Amino acid sequence: MLVLTRRRGEGVTIGPNVRIVVLGIKGGQVRLGIEAPSNVEVHRDEVHARIQEENRMAAGTGAIPLEAFRQLSQRSGVGDPRRRR
Amino acid sequence: MKCRTTRFGTLDIAEEALLTFPSGILGFAEWTRYVLLDHDTEAPIKWLQCVENPELAFVVLDPVLFKPDYQVALGEDALAELESREGDDLSVVIILTIPSEDPTRVTANLRGPLVMNHRTRRCKQLVLSDDIPTRHPLFDTAVSRPGTPATSLQATAC
Repeated sequence: MLVLTRRRGEGVTIGPNVRIVVLGIKGGQVRLGIEAPSNVEVHRDEVHARIQEENRMAAGTGAIPLEAFRQLSQRSGVGDPRRRR
Repeated sequence: MKCRTTRFGTLDIAEEALLTFPSGILGFAEWTRYVLLDHDTEAPIKWLQCVENPELAFVVLDPVLFKPDYQVALGEDALAELESREGDDLSVVIILTIPSEDPTRVTANLRGPLVMNHRTRRCKQLVLSDDIPTRHPLFDTAVSRPGTPATSLQATAC
C-alpha cells in the first residue's frame, strides 16, 4: 500500500482523471472530496462489505416459505392477465 | 453440460442457458458461471444456481412483483461489462435473503440488484449509490406505514 501524508486542502491524483482532496480533519474524521468521471464507481467500503455480507447470508438459503410467495404472485396479479396492464 | 448441485441433484444445462458474471457476485468473485432455474411451483421465485460450485445458489425475484417502481440506472462501466449495445434487452432481478430461523421474514437486497443482458448472457451485480436498503422486508410491502418516505426507488443516473 502506498502511504502518503497530506494536509488540509492537499490532494492526490490517481490515473489521468481521478483526484482526491482532503477537505477537512476533525475529531478523528477526515472529509474527502473526490473528483472522478461519472463512469468510475465510488463507494464507501462499508457499502461493498454490506452487500457481500448480504450475499453470503442469501447463499445460505434452505427452506422456502412457498405459501407466502404464492400469495405474493396472487397479490401482484402475475399470471392473471386481467390484472396486467 | 452436466452440472452437479446440492439442492437440485445433477442437471443437464444447455450451453446457451449459461449466464456469465465476469466480476462474479460480490463475496463470490471466483465463480462466474450460473444458470437461472424456475422453482417447481407456482411461486414466482427463481434460483440462480452456480454451475461451478454445487452449493452456491441464490433465490431471486423480479422486483416488479413487489416494487413496481423500482428502477436502476447503469453506468458506462456496467454497460461495457454486460457488452451491451443499443436495443439490448436488459432485465433486473433482486437477491432474496431467507433467514433459516424464520423463513417468512424474507428480505430483498434492493441495493445490490443483478442486471442481465439477454443477448450476451452477461450479468453483473450493481452497487447502487443511493440510500437504498439491503434488507427490504418482502412481505411487509402491503402495509403502509405513515411517516415513511415514498417508496419510489429511482437510482440517479450515473
